[in-house]
Amino acid sequence: MTRESGETEQAGVQPPSTARVLAQLTRPVLRALPVRGLAATAAVALLIAALPRLLSDEPDQWSALIALRAAALTFALGLAFVLDDPARDLTSSVPTRRILRTTLRVALVAPFAAAWWTAAVLLIPSKIRPPVGDMTLEAAAAAVLSLAAAAAALRFTAEPEPGQRVAAGFLVIALVSPLALPNDWGMYVSPVEKPWGVGHDHWAMVLVGAVAVWAACGPEPVRRRRLIPT
Amino acid sequence: MSTVLTQTPAETHTAPARQSWQAIFALARFESRKLLLRIPVLFMLAAYVAWIVWRTKSGWYGYPALQDVDRATQTGPLLVGFAVLLCVNQAVLRSQRHDTERLFGVLVLEPWRRTAAHALSILPVTGLVVLGVAAQFGWQAVKSTAVGNGSVGELLVGPLCVLLCGAIGLLMARLVPKPFAIPVAAVLLLVFSVLAPVSIGGGDATAWLTPIVGEGSSKTIPSDLIGRPAVSHALYLTGLALALALLAVLIGKGRTKTSTAVLAGSLAGAIALGVVGGVGQAAGVSSETVAARTVATLNPQKVQSCVRHGRSTYCAFPEWVPRTATWAEVTDHVQSLAGGTAQTRKLLVQQRVEARYGMEADGAIEPSTTPNQVTVRTMWGGPRTPEFSAAVASVLVLGNEKAGGDVCDGRMVTIMWLALGWTSDPVTELRAVRLSDTVTGSSMVLSPTNGMTMTAGQTSVVRELLAAGPSTVTPKVKAHWAELTAPKVTTAKVAQLLGVKAPGGADKCE
Amino acid sequence: MTTTVSAAGLSLRYGLTTALDDVSLRLTEGVTGLLGPNGAGKTTLLRVLATAVPADEGTFTVLGHDPRTPAGRQETRRVLGYLPQTPGFHPDFSAFDFVDYVAILKELTDRTARHNEVRRVLAEVDLSDVRGKRIKKLSGGMRQRVALAAALVGDPGFLVLDEPTVGLDPEQRMRFRELIARAGEGRTVLLSTHQTEDVAMLCHRVVVMAVGRVRFDGTPAELTARAAGRVWSSSERDPNAKAGWRTGLGVFRNVGDPPPGAELVEPTLEDGYLLTLDGMHAEATA
Repeated sequence: MTRESGETEQAGVQPPSTARVLAQLTRPVLRALPVRGLAATAAVALLIAALPRLLSDEPDQWSALIALRAAALTFALGLAFVLDDPARDLTSSVPTRRILRTTLRVALVAPFAAAWWTAAVLLIPSKIRPPVGDMTLEAAAAAVLSLAAAAAALRFTAEPEPGQRVAAGFLVIALVSPLALPNDWGMYVSPVEKPWGVGHDHWAMVLVGAVAVWAACGPEPVRRRRLIPT
Repeated sequence: MSTVLTQTPAETHTAPARQSWQAIFALARFESRKLLLRIPVLFMLAAYVAWIVWRTKSGWYGYPALQDVDRATQTGPLLVGFAVLLCVNQAVLRSQRHDTERLFGVLVLEPWRRTAAHALSILPVTGLVVLGVAAQFGWQAVKSTAVGNGSVGELLVGPLCVLLCGAIGLLMARLVPKPFAIPVAAVLLLVFSVLAPVSIGGGDATAWLTPIVGEGSSKTIPSDLIGRPAVSHALYLTGLALALALLAVLIGKGRTKTSTAVLAGSLAGAIALGVVGGVGQAAGVSSETVAARTVATLNPQKVQSCVRHGRSTYCAFPEWVPRTATWAEVTDHVQSLAGGTAQTRKLLVQQRVEARYGMEADGAIEPSTTPNQVTVRTMWGGPRTPEFSAAVASVLVLGNEKAGGDVCDGRMVTIMWLALGWTSDPVTELRAVRLSDTVTGSSMVLSPTNGMTMTAGQTSVVRELLAAGPSTVTPKVKAHWAELTAPKVTTAKVAQLLGVKAPGGADKCE
Repeated sequence: MTTTVSAAGLSLRYGLTTALDDVSLRLTEGVTGLLGPNGAGKTTLLRVLATAVPADEGTFTVLGHDPRTPAGRQETRRVLGYLPQTPGFHPDFSAFDFVDYVAILKELTDRTARHNEVRRVLAEVDLSDVRGKRIKKLSGGMRQRVALAAALVGDPGFLVLDEPTVGLDPEQRMRFRELIARAGEGRTVLLSTHQTEDVAMLCHRVVVMAVGRVRFDGTPAELTARAAGRVWSSSERDPNAKAGWRTGLGVFRNVGDPPPGAELVEPTLEDGYLLTLDGMHAEATA
């Protein structure tokens, strides 16, 4: 273990490219993801999407809308656990930046999420299916919002596994907002009602805002900004 | 030194059973304090309070019937119950998450006792919900305009739902100790309860298995005719919540034989309680209630009491007798605007209700053909007041209620003037009493029984009369009463008699 | 000896508590011990030096790199190895996989070279036999060694170890000290502990911290010398002593200002440490 000084000095040796590091990280990060939790959540979410078919012979549009929204919410709850890392303290001083690691995790989950959403949409009978593009926007907004909340928890707290609290908070907000938001914001209406289009503009804003929060919470600050200079 | 060792150490074991119960209560106090300070719980408690304020301010137009108010307290506590579901689950999983189970698992207080303490920690939050329910109900009950009787069973459903939510969270934490389990299961339960085919109220035996059972209509009927198995349902919910919580405690490790026996016995007792409640609530509406409903609908005079106010008699179901004074006020106002014999006529105001279908469906009430009899229903305030006022006016002008459906001439103007002229904001009342919620054009006018029609012309004449005001119009009404109430008098003639602009076009009835 | 790590004026406040108060020090090659009671700010200092958390004020450099800029921080992290106080693991990973994962995070992208490095580092900490075993099946001492291997992988020039021997039995502790001593040859190691035997056996320099400030910075011999002539034994606890305790032989050992005619004994590092802290306690409770 004795180290000859100068032997391994990296003077003049270029650090490897980010792409190489990320490529090598793929396998261990894939193993570190909460795969079983995500799979179980996705399974329950698919069950929810199948409920209109299971519960009634003649399901109507409204129940299809509710089921698809609830399925998207459930999957978003599972995503809140994607950024959990019990080894957070130990890996806090590595050169690979935190935002790269979290983005890699999300990138590994994304294909699975896309496949899951396709299956969920297909489970709704086509006759009563709400507009797929708009519903995909809603589901994407929910998913990114959940990930952004987890990223904010990582940025502002030292908790290595913030998933449970993030999921609980997200669920509470998701249940109270349809009751509290005014109807003419159009975010929780049905496709036949007038505010549907306006509502989906609002969903797009939520999606963009969530991406902005994700990006803002990614970097680890080099300096501490104090609110009250002492 | 040797003398120390000869003392027997038996005294150190002082009543271990009592001590462990005290320990459970101490841990329960600790956990309940943590539960009350969790952010989701505080947030939902605030949302619950906001909901209570919003519901109470906008409810029943200021004339509540307590048998409706008690049912209205049931959905708000679900907000708090949801937060309790999540947070109790997290509390039980906390030691697993932070890897302290290795220590806690071998301490004196066994895991099953800790679970029992978690179960007890739900009680203080439930107590807060009880306060909320009491406040919401009490706020309406202390109003002088409130009638009817609430039911304790219905009032208990809200807090029992919170207990049930806590018990489910507890059980899930023991069965599936993973952090994502309860949020996902909660969404599944919610969606299932929303989408599952719901049978309203009475008939179906399985309908009462869900915690909160709504009703098909929003009308009010006398509390003894409602026929909801409120007490059985409360027993069922209590048994269910206790059974789930005891099951969660039984799953915990470290039980001795006696404690297992006691817990299993309690579980059996809770299940029995739930079954008794479940069977009771599935029994359906009793034959006495069905008979009483028929009597109340078809022969109400057998169960009503009659009161005299001034000239007229008011017959009401026993719970509504205090409201007869309010009806009398309106009747007197309308009569004071009339002329001729109508001013001093004796009226019979009878309360009628369609109760044969219980709360499941609403039915129309046939107008009475008896002269000088007016029908009043169970709800009051808001649009109901001008509707009654219109019925009184129609009886004064036409003689009986049934005739109101056929009238199509200028007498409508007289009727509407009598109905609205005395009010403080006649145009708003006009909008409220018309089906189309407008103050121009033709529309149907609602009343407790069948409706009447107003043409566009009649509407504009009435608007002008209301604008002119009672001081100018009333003397003219009283002076020309006979002509204003003659059959087939045209609207133009009425307008001319009362000194306002005549409408264009003849009377046409649709 | 050239200075490899130097810090000047580091300060950090959490709300109203001052965790670090104008801390300055210079480290050279070899093992430097960081002693202090709980709450002294040791862990905070180590986290700042490991770039896990930025300081409010002050500067420091590690092997010529300044972590106050993002690029500088990357460079610093490339030559850094950090063993935190309670290291967390992915319990389903094997020891080899976990250290390999940390190696990738340290940007060792050539797979063959990296696997060789991981094997080398696991051999250094004597875990070659169990490198395929899952971490949740390893004992506490083995897990600590996995964490040390993760800190050593990539051959960093600066090692930051936060109480690495807590919870280990005497034999494990001795082996750990051996590992750390070997690691200190050719590297700068900053070792935080509150066990004075670790410092006495391992360190050529020792820094004593209390209440967020550096109270002593010198060699262990100098710290021991502080207690020269100020340690005595007696048959009863001496009320004038700053600290006193019963030894296993039935006599009392006292530290402080000895009364005339007291039976003086040889001071140890712990006595010097206690005397240094004693002034701090008075200050802290003032």
